[in-house]
Amino acid sequence: MLGMSRAGLAERWTLFVGALLSVALGVALVQSSLLLLISAAGANSDDAAVPMLGITLGGATFLAGFIISSTFAFTVDQRRRDLALLRLVGGSRGQVRRLLLGEALLLGLGGAAIGVPAGLGVMSLQTWLMRRFEFVPPDFVGEWRMWILGVSIGTGVVLALAGVLVAARRAARVRPLEALRESGAAARLMTAGRWVAGLFFLGGALALVIVAPHGGPAGGQAMAMNVAMPAAVTVVAFGPLLVPVLARLMPFGGGVLGALARANVRDARRRSASVAAPLIVLIALVVGNTGAGESFTSSGIGEVARSTHADFVVEAPVPARPGVATVSSETMLPAEIVTGSGEDRETTDVTALAINPRAYAAVHGTPVELTGNGVARGPGGEVPTDGSVRVRLLGLSPGSPGADLGDLPVVAAVPEMMSGGASLLMLPGQVPAALLEKAPTRSFVALEPGADASAVRADLARFGPVSTLGEWLKADAEERNSTNDKVMLVVLGLGGLYALIGVINSMVIGAATRRREFAEARVTGLTRSQVIRSALLEAYAVTGAALLLGALAASAAFFAVLSTTSAVTGTATLDLPWPLIAAVAAVALTVTGVTSLITSWSATRHPPVTLLAARE
Amino acid sequence: MTTMTMAPPAVALHGVSRVFGRGPSAVRAVDGVTLDFPRGSWTAVMGPSGSGKSTLLHCAAGLERVDAGQVLLGDTDLTVAGDAELTALRRTRIGFVFQSFNLIGALTAEQNVALPLRLAGKRPSRSAVRATLDAVGLADRARHKPRELSGGQQQRVAIARAMVTRPEVLFADEPTGALDSTAARTVLDLLRAMADAGQSIVMVTHDPGAAARADAVVFLRDGRVVDRLAGADARAVADRLAAWER
Repeated sequence: MLGMSRAGLAERWTLFVGALLSVALGVALVQSSLLLLISAAGANSDDAAVPMLGITLGGATFLAGFIISSTFAFTVDQRRRDLALLRLVGGSRGQVRRLLLGEALLLGLGGAAIGVPAGLGVMSLQTWLMRRFEFVPPDFVGEWRMWILGVSIGTGVVLALAGVLVAARRAARVRPLEALRESGAAARLMTAGRWVAGLFFLGGALALVIVAPHGGPAGGQAMAMNVAMPAAVTVVAFGPLLVPVLARLMPFGGGVLGALARANVRDARRRSASVAAPLIVLIALVVGNTGAGESFTSSGIGEVARSTHADFVVEAPVPARPGVATVSSETMLPAEIVTGSGEDRETTDVTALAINPRAYAAVHGTPVELTGNGVARGPGGEVPTDGSVRVRLLGLSPGSPGADLGDLPVVAAVPEMMSGGASLLMLPGQVPAALLEKAPTRSFVALEPGADASAVRADLARFGPVSTLGEWLKADAEERNSTNDKVMLVVLGLGGLYALIGVINSMVIGAATRRREFAEARVTGLTRSQVIRSALLEAYAVTGAALLLGALAASAAFFAVLSTTSAVTGTATLDLPWPLIAAVAAVALTVTGVTSLITSWSATRHPPVTLLAARE
Repeated sequence: MTTMTMAPPAVALHGVSRVFGRGPSAVRAVDGVTLDFPRGSWTAVMGPSGSGKSTLLHCAAGLERVDAGQVLLGDTDLTVAGDAELTALRRTRIGFVFQSFNLIGALTAEQNVALPLRLAGKRPSRSAVRATLDAVGLADRARHKPRELSGGQQQRVAIARAMVTRPEVLFADEPTGALDSTAARTVLDLLRAMADAGQSIVMVTHDPGAAARADAVVFLRDGRVVDRLAGADARAVADRLAAWER
């Protein structure tokens, strides 16, 4: 069978180049993310880098599995007639399965062979991005490990075999009679597998949406950020039903070309769904996750704005001054807390805040009682609300001495906040003077009624940089959003590019088998440019449908965002990155449009009669 | 049906029906057909478009499920055979030739011919494959791919592929339908020689000239056998067909 696999590969090269490309890029992405994760975990890098790379690796593996299996399923679908022919001359179901698995094995090995060197290129690109955004130190490099060869080859082969498994099982059931029909009968649209996968991921997405508002600020955010992925898989699974229906609703314009494009969309449901699938995932992930991230930032900022009763923020300690009613000076200290004991022992890096409880309560609107040697759980959570924690204050720079404060009882807790913040509140008296002096302090200043704001501001400026609460919140929001954007770019940037290549792949594969259809349209009286225009209209209708369905999957994440922000802060918040959404839509339409033009132009290169007259 | 009744038929249909669709739009493509295709003889099936001749052929070859009745290939009941058994039959006892050749474009002529044997797990010798190709007059085209061959040559490769397993019955669906008259004559001569050598052939055609080369012609209309001719010439076949098409 391997010989036939080889012959098949050589013949249907456009299909296989597409499949090979999807494996190679998937392997490259997974390999690069894995190597970087291992390197970052070993190196002394930013705290954010390791979890971020973990998410990147998870996302890359998901995308690779998804794109590869959808590309493979599509290539198998395009070859139904060939496979039926094999059955007709005595091929058994097992032989069809073995043929397809043999091809997948070759493609997996070939893809890995290309993917390993390509992965090095991807790694230097990812490293450059992470260095540029300062998630890793400037001297950080992703290190090559010899064992990654085995992992990458394994990834390629496993993803390729897994990707073709379902398609092969389906293809093995193809009936020999289908070889006798000109184009091969359209396969059943919604298979049992699609229903099962669709309903399974729908259940997962629903569960996340339902549970997210009860997960607290951190858990709720994490769950809401994970809704887009299962929601996208759900929509893709039901794609053969949904895509043609939506695509037909797109404005085709009047005339015969519009009617032809509409008929093609209706007729080629599998093709439409295969082109739409990677687009839906791309839109859902990018729009859903950036939208959710930005919404949580706005929600957190809004929450701080509502709960903070101060007029100015000074980046320094401030003593009592004329015109000032309350000053809450808060000193930020990096700390390490240990909770539990034995196997449950857990160490967490947190920020501790040395505060004056009365001033803190007045400014932040939440009472804190600190007595004796006790500490309070801060708005950042991560500390139990009772019992005791072992607290170690860390030095302010690497190598400088910290202070072990021993076991301290947790005597109070303030409500957790969406925007996070310090996890531990303590009295300045608990902190060694040497640390307290050097640590950065921020002061929230509330004015006396009737005080001259500009005079007080001028007075405060002598201690350190002063901003109004509004200015401070705006700067905070901008910084958080910029961090968000950088994280998204690192996590989703290359994945998005990969998904986009998946879209091009599907279109090229779809067009390769349409030469005859185009030729038939031309001998019916359409000019070459009319055929190309009709294919373009069709591509736009499918892209439009994919954009809508991607938005549908993203809106499941937005639903979780609204319910979570409402539950945590009392105000449902949704803040969407419209420029990004518009840019993604524009890129999607441009890429599918250009790909359609090139593929249909190339498929109509020869005079139609040469295609229609010469038949196998 | 004189001397042929002595040997059991190559293929026998008993009350075979095949219905497409359901309810008022249902079409009885084959409607209670009982028919024997004699062993060692060439039978042509004719009829107007939509008379059910291709469906009948597909049912007789075990490619199409039947809704009622029984199809016997020799003494094997095709209507109760599972997929594995039908696959095995296609490898050993049944050969197909179709209007559109249905060769695998990626394989050369000799690879196409060897395919059924290789699927059956045999390692056919090159000389055996070449001999089969030689029998259809294409020994010199063994290394060509289908697209490098003319229609008539492709059809002869398809016949070689069908014959390489030495099947009990060769089913041919419009084998000359896509060929010009010269190529069609070559193919028909080939089939005639095979039938004379004892090969059972069942052929669907709409061409009276092709049907006249067979030993007997069965006429189908609305899914039912309506007439039968033996040893008629093309003119007689055409007249009879015209009568049934009216």
